[in-house]
Amino acid sequence: MYASWLLTALLVWPLLAGAIVLLAPARLAKFIALAASLVEFAISVPLWWTFVPSGGMQLTADYAWIAAWGVHYTVGVDGISLFMVLLTTFLMPLSILGSWSYITKREPGFYSLLLVLTTGMIGVFVALDLFLFYVMWEVMLIPMYFIIGVWGGDNRLYAAIKFFIYTFLGSLLMLVAILVLYLHAGQASGVYSFGYAHLLGNAKDLGSLAWWLFGAFFLAFAIKVPLFPLHTWLPDAHVEAPTAGSVILAGILLKMGTYGFLRFALPFFPAVALNQTVQLVIVVLALIGIIYGGLVAMVQPDFKKLIAYSSVAHLGFVMLGIWALTLQSVQGALLIMINHGISTGALFFLVGMIYERRHSRLIESYGGIARVVPLFAAILTIVSLSSIALPGTNGFVGEFLVLIGSFRTYPIATALATTGVIVAAAYLLTALQRVIYNPLAQPENEKLTDLTPREITVLVPLLVLILWIGIYPKPFLERMEPSSRALIQQLRPGPAAGDTPGQP
Amino acid sequence: MRLDPAIYNDLLLSLLPELVLTGWSLVVLLFVAWRHETVRDLRITAWLTLLALVSTAVATWWLWWNTATIQGQVSMIAADDFRWVVTWVFLGAAALTVLISIAYLEREQLLAPEYYVLLIFGTLGMMVMAAGADLMVIFLGLELMSVAVYVLAGIDRRRARSAEAALKYFLLGAFASGFLLYGIALVYGATGTTNLVLIGGQVSLMGKPSVMLLAGLGMLIVGFGFKIAAVPFHMWAPDVYDGAPTPVTAFMATGVKAAAFAALLRVMNQAFGPVPAWHDILWWLAVITMVGGNLFALGQRSLKRMLAYSSVAHAGYLLVAVSAGGAAGSSAFLVYVIAYTLMSLGAFAVLTAKGRGGESDVLIDDLAGLATRRPWLAFALAVCMLSLLGFPGTAGFIGKWYILIAATTAGKNTLAAILVLTSVVSAGYYLPVIMAMYMKPEPNEAAHVDVCLDRWGRSAVAVVVVGLLLFGVWPNRLLELARSAVETVQPAATTAVTPR
Amino acid sequence: MTGSFVDFIWLAPALALLGFVLNGTIAFVRPNAKTLVSVIGAGVLLVAFAVALAVFSAFLGLHAEEAVVFRYWSWIPVGTLQIDVAFQVDQLSLVMLLVVTGVGSLIHLFSVGYMKDDPGYARYFAYLNLFVFFMLVLVLGASFPVMFVGWEGVGLCSYLLIGFWYGDAANANAGRKAFIMNRIGDFGFMVAMFMIFWATGSLDFATVFAHAPTALVPGGVAVTAITLFLFLGCTGKSAQIPLYTWLPDAMAGPTPVSALIHAATMVTAGVYLVARCNLLFAMAPISSEVVAGVGALTALFAATIALKQWDIKKVLAYSTVSQLGYMFLAVGTGAITGGIFHLATHAFFKALLFLGSGSVIFAMHRAYHHTHSHEDAQDMRNMGGLSRYMPWTTAVMWIATLAIAGIPPLAGFFSKDEILAAANARGHAEPAWLVFWGFGLVAALLTAFYMTRLMLYTFYGPNRTGEKEQAHLHEAPWIMTGPLLVLAVLSAAGGLLNVPELFHGGARLRHWLEPITQPSATLIPEVPVSASSEWLLVGIAVAIAVIGIVGAWRLLKPDRLVPARSAPEERGFARVLKNKWYVDELYDFLFVRPLVWFSRVVLWQEIDQRIVDSAGVNGAARGARALGWANRWLQTGQVGTYVAVFVIGVLLVLWRALG
Repeated sequence: MYASWLLTALLVWPLLAGAIVLLAPARLAKFIALAASLVEFAISVPLWWTFVPSGGMQLTADYAWIAAWGVHYTVGVDGISLFMVLLTTFLMPLSILGSWSYITKREPGFYSLLLVLTTGMIGVFVALDLFLFYVMWEVMLIPMYFIIGVWGGDNRLYAAIKFFIYTFLGSLLMLVAILVLYLHAGQASGVYSFGYAHLLGNAKDLGSLAWWLFGAFFLAFAIKVPLFPLHTWLPDAHVEAPTAGSVILAGILLKMGTYGFLRFALPFFPAVALNQTVQLVIVVLALIGIIYGGLVAMVQPDFKKLIAYSSVAHLGFVMLGIWALTLQSVQGALLIMINHGISTGALFFLVGMIYERRHSRLIESYGGIARVVPLFAAILTIVSLSSIALPGTNGFVGEFLVLIGSFRTYPIATALATTGVIVAAAYLLTALQRVIYNPLAQPENEKLTDLTPREITVLVPLLVLILWIGIYPKPFLERMEPSSRALIQQLRPGPAAGDTPGQP
Repeated sequence: MRLDPAIYNDLLLSLLPELVLTGWSLVVLLFVAWRHETVRDLRITAWLTLLALVSTAVATWWLWWNTATIQGQVSMIAADDFRWVVTWVFLGAAALTVLISIAYLEREQLLAPEYYVLLIFGTLGMMVMAAGADLMVIFLGLELMSVAVYVLAGIDRRRARSAEAALKYFLLGAFASGFLLYGIALVYGATGTTNLVLIGGQVSLMGKPSVMLLAGLGMLIVGFGFKIAAVPFHMWAPDVYDGAPTPVTAFMATGVKAAAFAALLRVMNQAFGPVPAWHDILWWLAVITMVGGNLFALGQRSLKRMLAYSSVAHAGYLLVAVSAGGAAGSSAFLVYVIAYTLMSLGAFAVLTAKGRGGESDVLIDDLAGLATRRPWLAFALAVCMLSLLGFPGTAGFIGKWYILIAATTAGKNTLAAILVLTSVVSAGYYLPVIMAMYMKPEPNEAAHVDVCLDRWGRSAVAVVVVGLLLFGVWPNRLLELARSAVETVQPAATTAVTPR
Repeated sequence: MTGSFVDFIWLAPALALLGFVLNGTIAFVRPNAKTLVSVIGAGVLLVAFAVALAVFSAFLGLHAEEAVVFRYWSWIPVGTLQIDVAFQVDQLSLVMLLVVTGVGSLIHLFSVGYMKDDPGYARYFAYLNLFVFFMLVLVLGASFPVMFVGWEGVGLCSYLLIGFWYGDAANANAGRKAFIMNRIGDFGFMVAMFMIFWATGSLDFATVFAHAPTALVPGGVAVTAITLFLFLGCTGKSAQIPLYTWLPDAMAGPTPVSALIHAATMVTAGVYLVARCNLLFAMAPISSEVVAGVGALTALFAATIALKQWDIKKVLAYSTVSQLGYMFLAVGTGAITGGIFHLATHAFFKALLFLGSGSVIFAMHRAYHHTHSHEDAQDMRNMGGLSRYMPWTTAVMWIATLAIAGIPPLAGFFSKDEILAAANARGHAEPAWLVFWGFGLVAALLTAFYMTRLMLYTFYGPNRTGEKEQAHLHEAPWIMTGPLLVLAVLSAAGGLLNVPELFHGGARLRHWLEPITQPSATLIPEVPVSASSEWLLVGIAVAIAVIGIVGAWRLLKPDRLVPARSAPEERGFARVLKNKWYVDELYDFLFVRPLVWFSRVVLWQEIDQRIVDSAGVNGAARGARALGWANRWLQTGQVGTYVAVFVIGVLLVLWRALG
């Protein structure tokens, strides 16, 4: 009972709450939204325990939706999606609390959009019917479009439409691919259904068609990840979006790309995905992401742009880990997906907080503020360290796993990717120094106020996770492991590399 | 209920909706002839018209309920679910047009009650087109519809734009009708009949189709292509849509297009089922129409012109459905045409609210900040735009999805790909509307104060929005209806039927 | 679990961590509670030292040949990769433990006095405690990853402490430089770990060294690569060529920090790592030769730079680099004991030197502070004749100087002699080592020379501080001189740790470390050396040292010096040395600038902005829109045009229909 309704509740509740927020008086909007998101989180927390770390899908629910096309409402979670869902419900209350004083106009609209967005994002992660998946994939587009476009910075219109059309382009081609797959499976099995398991089961002997379909899926997900050269929407979107928008963009939306690869592109078309050339291309793109992203981040004058490009680098690690297909690398990739949500989310929160005080995102307009706002400086330092994967923080565990795992499959590429840790230190520490260290040159910065209790409340949960995952990641790893193993065995039958005791 | 066209009563029965509407048209005409001064007369005419449309719909429903079918294959009119459904679409379009016209006519000082009469005649023409199982009947209906709409386009005599539009439409329309007629002649020459079923029989006998037949086929497509405003026969559309009074534009963009499409679909499937050529022609027509329509729309800054081109683009999508053929194609066509009628009517309705006479001067940017001043209107327009864009949660998405299923089922994956790619382009002109309404500040306090719809206009928009969202989330009934409606328009059994 | 006090090893790092947490909190809530901070900050270290001693004695009681490993919790368990948070107590880690906590406590005490007027007092001690915590994790870690935690942790603390006075951009830069340079090394460390894991299937020291002989081919590519990557890590952490340039800049931090982190403990982590992995290095002769070679070269190279530095701390910094070179020469040669021995003695006398210079700077600084003068308190040209004002400091500094110069029977003599002897012995088999030995000797000469120079210019000759300031020059308080005396004793007597048989000593350290060094000892043949030749070597070494000291004493004329502000520019080779062979400039020119330029101009502005975004993305959009506009030429409003287009359409349709 509870099990079959949990996910549905997670999907429905935010929509209801969103409506309530719209109807309620404007000044109550943020309070209601915060309460709603906390409730949402409360609903999701039991997942942590009820979830049984075994390969299969759990907490599934399945109802007919559009009979004519064999469309079902089918949802469920496995070790891969579980943490994405939890991450979403976890970041939401923080984002709302983080927007508390940042959003001043049209609050009800903003907060109800955030809640609708929640439904969209969770839907993407739990959908086990490709029609439902596609709908959710698009549904989360509109709220984000509005969040950027209405509450964004000066250049928001450009960023918003760029974000929208870019994603739309990818997703529509994916739509065609889904349909072709649907018909192929239908002709093969006689059953016309968009069900994930059904399509997965009948995605065989596609022949050359598989290449086109993979291409379509690849485009859709590569744009979201984003992979070079499809990444240029990201810096604009990140910079223009309000804090909450950036946090969610980086924290969750980007993961939809990598999630899509894990859930669809790889299992559906293993032959193509593991084709030598394709592997080469992906790995090269991942490397470009890691190093190019880092180097470009190094020269950004705008702190938010810097973080945006650093996201490109982090997601590059994830792609490398996924394609390396060793147990360690995949586990690492999944962990980075979580870590990046936490660390980069925290970074965006911090930038947003200082922006509220100083109304500048330019690194050069700060300097030496550690003296004025010591607490801010301390937290920024910790978060940056986690973002550059200092051992003891969450960042290290993920990157270490990805690299050590990938080294087995792609030694050279991994060695190159490891230089990313140097670049990361270069860009973040430089930014850190120019923001909180150096002489306190500019008088405007002398009267900055340190973090308020509300802001501390936003940051503390993130800090806790940064240290928790850094010091004791086992609870996370053990919940993911069966799913990762299953994925690898789907693609490379036989025991996964790095998973056979005795000889590695 | 099986109707034998040979029996007089059955024939009348099978034409019941048309007869009802004709009767009403006479009533309204008489009324108008004798009361046409005051605003009140105008109102009453509107009510009569609505009444007419409703009663016709009921008549249609009655036939549908009794599953009226024609006995024997050869008949000049068809009685099948496809006809009933499209008839409802026409009637719906007309009714919504009436609703948005009431306030409009009064506001624009168009105290010409014959407006409604013409509306009825136009609708009647459409119904005949959809009912025709014989090229001659179809032509009859087409002309009836066209003439009425020509006049409607120019109903605003005082505005040169309107008159020009009417003239252009008339000239080019006559030109196109010529092609259609010539096509009919050629087909008759090739097969010795104008009855669709019989043509189908002949064609299937013929084996390799004769040049004359193919030429005729081409001419027919040209003729219909003009009415549905497919590139490159679309040139009239932007100017006429732009010049005509907005409610008329709405009627043209929805009803007229739907009627022409219905006829095209019936003719192609029933008469030319076995001929592969038309799939190919329509394939190309669809491609250039989608590409052209969307790209041209991208270049527009005036909202009305943008909508005009967008209706061209949507003709392209519908062509995909038609060229896909098969049951899937036809039902996809029905679903999409319903969705399309709703969403473009909605868009035009909102435009009339903003319009104030010079609808064609309304730039997309003039909507800036509408959302703050008129949230519900903005919301409605936003829903229409998203639906036109084919965004999930709206009927437009369901329709597009169905068309894509049809295309891929027919193995036309390239066509599907082109469709979605051009839809991406369409985001480039639908989004700016939303962007203007929600993301740009009001130019000044007074920018939108006079933007409003009367109660009837509002109810029309409400119907549209609810319909779009409902079908977007729960399309099952719609899909069922569409599916059940299409069996009979499928290629006729290829048994030879000798002409009388 | 051994059932002895060894089980409480976790207390040592835990205490340091506790100190960090407490001081860190105080730094925010009550930054001026200096007494409390001092009690906590220095207290935890003293207790930790006590714990270390207790563990040491308990371990003696165990007579353990094997390392005792304590597993606390499973850290990163994925498939075959099972990394536990585990500590390892064995002879080597115990030596490090004692050095770190022992010298650490002394330096903490010294800091109480040195930093007492600093506004960031609490923050300072928090960092310092955190450093000790990570350093202990580094030396106690039972696996490469756990060690790596400490490895990067100490890097972080060094970054924080170098940039402690971040208000001055130079300091912040130095900190950043240090961290990034270290990261370059860490890159090597990580890659090495990857190779080790896939080669041996584990990262625990015990397992790795157990499997290595079977899993890896001696002298093979794999083990060579692994060891070279490890050594890259060492060059970063232990400031060897080519990554040494951060250490001299690191002197921007408070002097006790330089003493603790950049002389006594952190920078020796590389030596510890090689010693820990001596088996692997022994299996890779090429790598060992590289290690020894780089060590010897660094020893010499850094020594030359030290000759011409005026900043008293810079001299000591380059001296540190040079001495670290000796240690690597040792471990590269296979003389693990020698390396560790020198590590320990160096910790004593170099810490002493730094603290000594610290108290000098302290005095100078206060003097200048009184007169509100802005002279450089660290430039030796502003000192001179300080022996008159600070006799204690002078005395202990002399002890340290003689120790580092290698004058018997002080600590440095024994350790350095052992290293040179080992290199020389190895030289009989492979001549390359004779070259390294030669480098070592010359470096020793230079060491003696620049140390004497430092003493001479700082403490003798006329005072150049300034008339008014002289009045305020005097000895530092006891809390600072106290630790100096203790360290002086250690520097003097440190040699007793490992008096070789030659001097009828027990070579205790050698025997103590045998369980560690044994695996490599079997691989590297012991070259028998006759007592006579050993005596000869000792003679040479001592002679070299004496020549250096006497030479400096005679050649250098402190009374010719003029204060820094009016000092002339060096000319010729002297200038090259003063500017550190222009290595920083070279790196800047070769790597830093090109990379930044490439990133900004090529990658960002050209590729990202222009090509991908403008041309690609927006280009496509612009293209589509342009096509849209183009339509206007067709849409003229002229019916004629329309008909024309219409007819073209008709023709096309007919063509498709008939063709």
